[in-house]
Amino acid sequence: METNETGTSIGLRIVIVGHVDHGKSTLIGRLFYDTGSIPEVRYREIEATCKAQGRDFEFAYLMDALEEERDQNITIDTASTFFKTAKRPYVIIDAPGHKQFLKNMITGAAGADAAILLVDGAEGVREQTRRHAYVLSLLGIRQVIVAVNKLDSVGYDRATFHAVENDIRAFLHAVGIVPSFVIPISAREGENMAARLGHTPWYAGPTVLEALDTFDDAGVDDELPLRLPVQDVYMWDGRRIYAGRIESGSVRPGDPVIFQPSGKRTRIATVEKWGRPDLVTAGSGECVGVTTVDELFVERGEVIALADRLPVGAREIRASVFWLAENPLAAGKTYTLKLATAEVQATVVAIEERLDASTLEVVERNAASLHPAEVGTVLLSLKSDVAADRFEDNARLGRFVLEDGYHIGGGGIVRSLSDEAGIQGRRIDLERAFFDGDEGNLVDLSREGSDVEFDVSALFLDALSRGNRVLFRLRDASQVAPVARLAWSHSLGFEFARSGDRANIVLYAGKPPVTNPGGNGGGEISI
Amino acid sequence: MTDHLDALEAQSIYIFREAYRKFENLAMLYSIGKDSTTMIHLARKAFFGRIPFPLVHIDTNYKYPEMIAYRDRMAKEWDANLIVGQNREALAAGMGPDKGRLVCCEKLKTDGLSRIIEKHDFHGLFLGIRRDEEGSRAKERVFSPRDKNFEWAYKDQPPELWDQFNTNFAPGTHVRVHPILHWTELNIWEYIEREKIEICSLYFAKDGKRFRSLGCMPCTRPIESNAATVPEIIDELRTIKAPERAGRAQDQENAYAMQKLRAKGYM
Ligand SMILES: Nc1nc2c(ncn2[C@@H]2O[C@H](COP(=O)(O)OP(=O)(O)O)[C@@H](O)[C@H]2O)c(=O)[nH]1
Ligand SMILES: [Mg+2]
Repeated sequence: METNETGTSIGLRIVIVGHVDHGKSTLIGRLFYDTGSIPEVRYREIEATCKAQGRDFEFAYLMDALEEERDQNITIDTASTFFKTAKRPYVIIDAPGHKQFLKNMITGAAGADAAILLVDGAEGVREQTRRHAYVLSLLGIRQVIVAVNKLDSVGYDRATFHAVENDIRAFLHAVGIVPSFVIPISAREGENMAARLGHTPWYAGPTVLEALDTFDDAGVDDELPLRLPVQDVYMWDGRRIYAGRIESGSVRPGDPVIFQPSGKRTRIATVEKWGRPDLVTAGSGECVGVTTVDELFVERGEVIALADRLPVGAREIRASVFWLAENPLAAGKTYTLKLATAEVQATVVAIEERLDASTLEVVERNAASLHPAEVGTVLLSLKSDVAADRFEDNARLGRFVLEDGYHIGGGGIVRSLSDEAGIQGRRIDLERAFFDGDEGNLVDLSREGSDVEFDVSALFLDALSRGNRVLFRLRDASQVAPVARLAWSHSLGFEFARSGDRANIVLYAGKPPVTNPGGNGGGEISI
Repeated sequence: MTDHLDALEAQSIYIFREAYRKFENLAMLYSIGKDSTTMIHLARKAFFGRIPFPLVHIDTNYKYPEMIAYRDRMAKEWDANLIVGQNREALAAGMGPDKGRLVCCEKLKTDGLSRIIEKHDFHGLFLGIRRDEEGSRAKERVFSPRDKNFEWAYKDQPPELWDQFNTNFAPGTHVRVHPILHWTELNIWEYIEREKIEICSLYFAKDGKRFRSLGCMPCTRPIESNAATVPEIIDELRTIKAPERAGRAQDQENAYAMQKLRAKGYM
């Protein structure tokens, strides 16, 4: 996240989660107060309301702006508000803690760049603490602060803090989250929020505000392969414009692309934005229109990708699914799966595991249903192919929602997927890898399966015949076979080498190479 | 992507395109203010210069003449299809803020709007509200369904995640789409400056006063200000502590005025 000249920006989005009454709304109110972000009028309004009710000033009222919430003292929905530190602005999403409001918490948390997990120091880790922590991991939120709150109520006792810290660290470890900081605080008194008030001399770490300022902006995904899901097709001015948002990577005119899952090939003719005639290339996060060299008939839901780095045209998806709707997710039932801009009927083949989100124990195998607020490993069979990635490879195309009737019923992240043939086949365009790759004549197979196939062009073979060599970086020895087949069918030579954990193959035409093919990641050319 | 305004703009474009793809019979509510004018600019970005749906302005008959003149001039310039709605019956029966501000808003704005929606059978309506305006708007969804009676069930809103919006609804539901929900007042002005968007002259200070939020004449007061240009307004907003809608009388009626109005279908 960058701060621009004027010192303003969209802000880092933080979600505040934790068990009900552990102090989320209070913490936010305090952050606002301490950063001078509460308009004077609001402050006095809340003061007056509290006085009228005969109670002390409640910071929580600032967020809990809706009438019912004041009466019931709970946060019903997710609200967004804004505050600023010297470093940058923040958008705060207050997530409700009550169990029946999990769907609102997920709505809030799904858009967050970072999270503060609150734990009441006196009460310790509770069911919702664990459930929310697990949801953070499902949503892929990696930047997490744990704030152990209400330490004023236990006399800022160091041992109490450490006991809670150990508990929560152990649970977070189990869901794959390493908290960036665990901070002892009192949201009500303001200890270790914006300032150190001196109650915790035994704590040497940052305050909550300092900790927030260490976080990075949401990862820019320009480094990942191009994924441009077609959102709509406009037939305007006699042209066919594919409108969409670049979810990862970048695109420019001339790029050879494939629409997945249809597999249609063409090249990009133009990349367009209204009012930007100067535009040449566009990167992740940008909403653009593109036109192609060939007239294709492609629909919403297809994904534009570069030919050598394609998403899988998935027929079957194994996913971690969290369910939110009243009606349980049922094995055998069919839902609408929405992934990026694709929509397809998806049948629940099996609920392989039903998990207790607060203990992570497998409660049941081959379950019949997932109830609201439950999580499971679910196998889905899709009625037609959908271009998708595994969540860990590309989060933007690795997550989906399931619609039940008129409402989004739950969401999931793709753990593994398979195409019609039951394998993750990928075609790799060798010409492109050879001429366009960042590192030059290097074909990186380290993230591919054992069933890769290659597109070979005359230009590529010509380059080899002129003495160039290509280094294949393998994931493991199972990929030797496809490269060997490639060599066999084009009368090329190859040499296998192992260096440390890495396996490499050098492909060449004519005489074997003289240099050691093992080490440096390829790129050397011998003429 | 270069800066925060690009990020905000991209999100708005995505929302516009999603709604345009998913709903037939869309319209955009045009209030003449800076937010909905910015929203129109964003729509033109989304649709390569076009505004592929009508603009609806609900005229309470209590608007400043400058606003109406500006509205008509801009609609021509954008080549937009402008529909003006008015609750003539209520006006003929003498409706005005003297009958109570909330009642007046409900009759002239909310009812005026629901008549237009019914008459044209609009299934979706773009609205330029923002989360930072006031508490109940902070809790809005980007795609927010309203039932047959135009009521907002804010306690039971469907989840929205990963830009997957609820786009399928029971018959009779109409949906409000909020393309600039995630913008702040300051963002809007920064964007107006960057994109050189022409906005209504009432926003700029004359004789030490300017309007920060535009509404009906009897219920809108200007603020003390010498900010006569967009950069001056941006500077002013960086230091101002009073809320944006402080000059809008209907918000001040009681602590929950806005939430009550909005649950019944107010913008
Ligand atoms: N003693 C003490 N009480 C607190 C503190 N923070 C919050 N509380 C109280 O805990 C209750 C619940 O707080 P709230 O912020 O509404 O919790 P939420 O449900 O997580 O949003 C309120 O009565 C707060 O005043 C704290 O630091 N110390
Ligand atoms: Mg709360």
